[in-house]
Amino acid sequence: MNDLLGKRVVLVTGKGGVGRSTLTAALAQVARRAGKRVLLAEVGDGSDDYSALAQRFGLNQLPRTAAEIAPGIQGSQLLSDAGVELFLTSVLRVPMLARTALGFEPLRRLFSAAPSLRELGTFFHLLTYLRAEQSPGVPLHELVLVDMPATGHTLALTGLPDVILRLVTRGPIAEGLREGQSFLNNPLRTSAYVVTLPETLPVSEALELLEGLDKTRVHQGGVFVNRVPRDLFTAEESGAIAAFIQRQPVFGAEGFLRIGEAQKAIARLRASTAIPTLQLPELEQTGDALIEALVDVLRAEPFRPGVP
Amino acid sequence: MTTLARLIEQNKVIVCCGAGGVGKTTTAASVALGGARLGRRVLVLTIDPSRRLAETLGVSRNPPEPVAVPEDRQRAAGVQPPGNLDAWMLDSKLVADDAVRRFAGSEERARPVLENRLYQQATLILAGLHEYTAMKALHRFITEGHYDLVVLDTPPSRNALDFLEAPRRLAGFLDGAIFRMFTPTKAGLIGRAGVRLIGRVLRLVFGAEFATELTAFFESFSSLFESLNADILDVRQRLTQPDTAFVLVTTPSEAAVKEAHFFHDRILQLGLPFRGFILNRSQAGRSDKVFPDAALLAPDAPPALRSGLEKLKWLARSEHLQVARDRGLLAELALRGGKDAFALALPNLPAGASDMATLAQIATLALAERRSGPR
Repeated sequence: MNDLLGKRVVLVTGKGGVGRSTLTAALAQVARRAGKRVLLAEVGDGSDDYSALAQRFGLNQLPRTAAEIAPGIQGSQLLSDAGVELFLTSVLRVPMLARTALGFEPLRRLFSAAPSLRELGTFFHLLTYLRAEQSPGVPLHELVLVDMPATGHTLALTGLPDVILRLVTRGPIAEGLREGQSFLNNPLRTSAYVVTLPETLPVSEALELLEGLDKTRVHQGGVFVNRVPRDLFTAEESGAIAAFIQRQPVFGAEGFLRIGEAQKAIARLRASTAIPTLQLPELEQTGDALIEALVDVLRAEPFRPGVP
Repeated sequence: MTTLARLIEQNKVIVCCGAGGVGKTTTAASVALGGARLGRRVLVLTIDPSRRLAETLGVSRNPPEPVAVPEDRQRAAGVQPPGNLDAWMLDSKLVADDAVRRFAGSEERARPVLENRLYQQATLILAGLHEYTAMKALHRFITEGHYDLVVLDTPPSRNALDFLEAPRRLAGFLDGAIFRMFTPTKAGLIGRAGVRLIGRVLRLVFGAEFATELTAFFESFSSLFESLNADILDVRQRLTQPDTAFVLVTTPSEAAVKEAHFFHDRILQLGLPFRGFILNRSQAGRSDKVFPDAALLAPDAPPALRSGLEKLKWLARSEHLQVARDRGLLAELALRGGKDAFALALPNLPAGASDMATLAQIATLALAERRSGPR
């Protein structure tokens, strides 16, 4: 966990339904209690739509610019529009020109929908937060935790600098992207963490995602295996129950079978990658109590390296 | 009252929506299989699916056209002619290339677009393209009329309805104003001033080299965009017709249900025909199970079984509670959906199960269910 807390940027990624937002909220709490000035961010689209992460803080959406969302925790959406605006203002030094350009509807639309320019805006919004300083040399947001969207979108964002730099080699965009790369592709400053479940398919997807992150040269810090069921049974009991539930449909059989599935899935994950894993137990709590319980586990449990 | 079975039997389009991780893709495949079993010619359309489903159905990923699920698998799953199941698991780049070729009319006219570096990169990384791709492919198969039923598994995105919104964003982008900027000959006097400003901004921001390329991209693409735009509006229009059904898939988890509520509101706001909730991975439908009790054991049962059974009770208690909870949830969804929608519970299948037998099993449940809510 100290590795994670030592970074400037932590990308939390994984498929929907694996508990990513709750875990990201818990990580923010862990960071705050470790004395970090933490900014919680997620890619937004500027609408009032539902955000699972914001819900953890009693909001419908994270704020459009960084603001406190819980004691000691700031939150912000990463917005394409905001990124473009900040970027244009910094590039077009003549404020008049920037304002005119931004007021020009077709140009706005170009930036909001044109291929890859949208992602570029998001990227620059993130970069703005990374650049922000409290005082010279002291970052305003020591740790930026990003709750990343679905797999494909995550890789679109992490792969963006390489792709664009192939097209644009000079000029302010290229410079901005290179500066971004100095954060995102530096393992000392940025790590990605994958959240998954101890099941066959999610583990396969987590492995694919690690591969994708590797290709976009983003350091992979670890895998959180969420909702691991507790094994209450001795080996002998397991054998007896396995035979019993074959003969007799009973409540509890599903839960019992899930234990074995989970162990198999985790073994496969650890045999397939050297990236360290941390198992989070299945917890009964919900809402704030669940986040608190996760915080306790995160502070106590170490990551364990894989053994491929 | 609607049932899922009736929709599978009568509708032309079923759109499966839901947050990621609720089993949407598997559900869509099962619904499609159900239609084929009823003797319909069915296509299931999935964008960027997991390898696993493609393997299950025995089809390759990203073929240029939909492919029939191999006959032996269809027979094994209970499909008889004229019923047939085709699947298309496609990726965005393929569909975009295809669209360019068809609108260009000739390979010669398509080539400058396809070879434009910006286009090549864009189709690889543009996230919104998934959504557009889904709409595009849907449009094609509805208008071509080869199929009695098209089942669309909506692409994974943070917002499950993005696939409806993203094309509109794209449509706004594709309209004439932007093109006139980049193609000065078509612009008026004020337009030309705009062009000069844009040119200056773009050169400053992107550098001269890229700005030139961007202009070339728009020039070569401009003639194609208008017809693409018309298509998008067509599909939206098509999706509001009564023979289209929007079905929301959710799981009993608190977060998933909250999202389902949100999506439901959105579907209604957009004026789309919402037709039902599927409560996936739920205990609501179960009735054959009993509570594990020592009374079930033979008098000579080994001690390990007895002590194991005691521990199993812990797991049983929470599963038992879940039955009541899931049934309550299903009733709530039925109420929320109203009289024009169904609410159907599907069970929790063995973890990761997505083999053909599992799909067939879900299809049976989907077709058998004639109630609109819980008993």
